[in-house]
Amino acid sequence: MSDTLQIMSDALPILFEGLLITLKIAAISLVIAFVIGLAAGLMSTARSRIIRGLAGIYVDIIRGTPLLVQVFFIYFGLPEFFDTRIDPEVAGIVAVSLNAGAYIAEVVRAGINSVDKGQVEAARSLGMNRFYTMRLIVLPQALRRMIPALVNQFIISIKDTALLSVIGIRELTQSGEIIISTNFRSFEIWGMVGVFYFLLILPLSRLSLLLERRLNLR
Amino acid sequence: MITVQNLKKQFGSNVVLKDISTTIREKEVVCVIGPSGSGKSTFLRCLNLLEDVTSGKVDIAGVEVTDPKTNIDKLREDVGMVFQRFNLFPHLTVLQNIMLAPKYIKKMDKAANEKKAMELLAKVGLAEKRDEYPDRLSGGQQQRVAIARALAMNPRVMLFDEPTSALDPEMVGEVLQVMKDLAHEGITMIVVTHEMGFAREVADRVLFMDGGYIVEEGTPAVIFDAPKHERTQAFLSKVL
Repeated sequence: MSDTLQIMSDALPILFEGLLITLKIAAISLVIAFVIGLAAGLMSTARSRIIRGLAGIYVDIIRGTPLLVQVFFIYFGLPEFFDTRIDPEVAGIVAVSLNAGAYIAEVVRAGINSVDKGQVEAARSLGMNRFYTMRLIVLPQALRRMIPALVNQFIISIKDTALLSVIGIRELTQSGEIIISTNFRSFEIWGMVGVFYFLLILPLSRLSLLLERRLNLR
Repeated sequence: MITVQNLKKQFGSNVVLKDISTTIREKEVVCVIGPSGSGKSTFLRCLNLLEDVTSGKVDIAGVEVTDPKTNIDKLREDVGMVFQRFNLFPHLTVLQNIMLAPKYIKKMDKAANEKKAMELLAKVGLAEKRDEYPDRLSGGQQQRVAIARALAMNPRVMLFDEPTSALDPEMVGEVLQVMKDLAHEGITMIVVTHEMGFAREVADRVLFMDGGYIVEEGTPAVIFDAPKHERTQAFLSKVL
């Protein structure tokens, strides 16, 4: 145990590189996921049954299958079928985006439905069309209420990127595995990996609380 | 100004409006009274198509509301509505509530929009509340802002859907006063209300609705002092 500190300081730069990749994949995926989720959430409140149905199918497929299977399907399955190759990071980003997007769509749908119907009636009675009513009246109120659930999903998805180690992306978890495969020091390395994730997530939880308090009641 | 012909509205198998026909003249103030469930609010909401109409015709200022080809958003600019539960936009300040529709729909210049909004706020006696959020206002104040918000679009007709029913008794007067002022300015108004005193004093004509029909209509003097129909008499004997 005397060399614990040495082990840890040796691991630090490699884990930090992994952390940056985790951060990059998570950031890109969450931006895309938010756009997908917003679109699918809006679709699920559409008047057209077909549009609602499409959003429903997407959400059901994603929720009904494990993320790991989705990752394998996108990284191994699709390229094989189309006889091509795909960069693991791209595949990972696509998988996490699609996955988080479906859950965010449900958050968006619930947020939109939580806005009082009288708000829509007031806006429409002033002559606002559906687009303005959604953009100026419903979404601003819905988004505020969605913040806790949204941040919760962001946190889950950031941690889900750990699964991408299985397709060889050298994100934080994979970096840990690589180090352990050479030094066999599971205790120190997995402990450090855990702390890294924790430090990544903590500010986000805090930010959510802050936002909630600042936007409270409005 | 407004013509309603054989208006019928049903929700599923429940026929709420059976056969409504009436004409409302420009600058007329019409109060609609009747027991709850008589279809008063539904009637009002059919006029600006917040409820879609099952059959019949509604025509406002020469525009056939019930024609599917009519641009209903455009028509609603001319038909202001005030709701029982105010429905102010809680994420916007009082001033923003009033300026929103003119800004986005009429593309009104900001300075002119703000000037107009402040005039309207002054008119409802709330100029000093311009930067408050709705949750900081009392019910009566919120409803007065809601009236100002509807007026900001320069509507030709104002619809009031039980505007004082959600208010504490001490706040009813301030809202009715604003509505009286409007009536005297000559805006066409249709008011669904339980305030018989207001109807008697302000209305040019009173419609008594029951069971999805207009049972009786006439001047306040006729309806309140000499109602002909026994259902009108029965209703008034309960509320007066």
